[in-house]
Amino acid sequence: MPPSIRPLSALRRRARQHFTNGSGRRGLLIAFEGPDGSGKTTQRKLFKTWLKAEGYDVVTTKWNSSDLIKPIIKSRKDVHALSPEEFSLLHGADFRHRVEQVILPALWAGKVVIADRFLFTGLARDVARGLDLDWVLKLYQPLLWPDLVFYFSVSPGTSGKRILATRTPRFYEAGQDITDVEDPVESYQRFITRVIREYESLALIFNFITVDAERSIGEQHQQIRALFREGLTRPWSDWNADAVAEWLAMSGARA
Amino acid sequence: MTARKPELIAVDGIAGPAIVAAARAALTSIDRRRRSGISHWDASGVFDELAVAAGDAGQPSVRTLLLLYAADLAFRLRWEIRPALAEGRSVVAAPYVDTAIAFGRAAGIDGAWLTSLFLFAPRPTLRRFVGGIAARAGRRGGFVEFGFAQVSSDALGATRGEVVNRMTAHLRAAAKRYRIPADRV
Repeated sequence: MPPSIRPLSALRRRARQHFTNGSGRRGLLIAFEGPDGSGKTTQRKLFKTWLKAEGYDVVTTKWNSSDLIKPIIKSRKDVHALSPEEFSLLHGADFRHRVEQVILPALWAGKVVIADRFLFTGLARDVARGLDLDWVLKLYQPLLWPDLVFYFSVSPGTSGKRILATRTPRFYEAGQDITDVEDPVESYQRFITRVIREYESLALIFNFITVDAERSIGEQHQQIRALFREGLTRPWSDWNADAVAEWLAMSGARA
Repeated sequence: MTARKPELIAVDGIAGPAIVAAARAALTSIDRRRRSGISHWDASGVFDELAVAAGDAGQPSVRTLLLLYAADLAFRLRWEIRPALAEGRSVVAAPYVDTAIAFGRAAGIDGAWLTSLFLFAPRPTLRRFVGGIAARAGRRGGFVEFGFAQVSSDALGATRGEVVNRMTAHLRAAAKRYRIPADRV
């Protein structure tokens, strides 16, 4: 039955029942967000190892990693051919494909999904590139809200220092498409300052859990464990009903 | 005498070959010195690359295809349409926004989301809608034929015939809104 006449309200009900029935562990979505060099990947790996030891079935999904869209983005990044709109739309497509192919199937199966960057990365970077927040946010609809968002907060200076210790920032990472600065290091400092400003706004708007990423690795990890345990009692977000219902509809209602 | 302003002529419909034929006719109606060319879908090659993606990469949904269509349109605007208009030449976009919106609406995508998606695209000076039924499938036909080839009926939410019927109804309603004769759809 087509979506326009398919009873989406029934699928929303089914989504609610599935995620709130209370029998066994429900799927959990946990996002690790923050600027480059904030150490979130290190923390994500430590957290995953700990979760597995605790008996959770864990799936990881990374930003810009869908098998279908990533090669398309990569070939365009290699030749510096993307405008801010194309950059934003292609990353939106990559995200949507991963939501449908990786994230929702895993959540439905009761797994813990750890997202190394989530849609907030798109929002922070695209708005830093001059796009309208409302337009970018709509690209990601129907929205899928994580159960927890850990935001790794660092200063632009620390981010730059950590990145430059290992490599020179790449063209888009340095924001050279919009800064018009030839030196990638200088461009990175300017761009990451804008990105961090956007992240700080998003952290307030969307109530992220801020982790002070200037603290030691061990301290951050302990904090994340504690926050995760507290977060386990959070109810499933009803905002997610639309996203799950659309996915159920397009997958033949998961008979 | 004032010179005529350059025009962006949008040609939308369902069947790829019919859209191309109408675009050619629209182009020849423009004074040779003032015409640029036709901006076709997939000028950026996004869909060509998608078509050769590995089978285990998973099928795209209608929403994913529409995001890619918008990315391709952003490319066409940047490299084909806006430069032509800036040079004072008229250009034909075939298809433009209404084909994608009709496809999305026919597959059950929310109209407000579709409208927002294409907010970056300027309003065309002229609109032409063409009739014709999309081929059942085919990579190089047009956007709708490509969508039929890529998206399963489950993901499409309807049979191809139902999608074509709904697209036709949507385009007729849009034609009425834009005051284009309905018999062209």
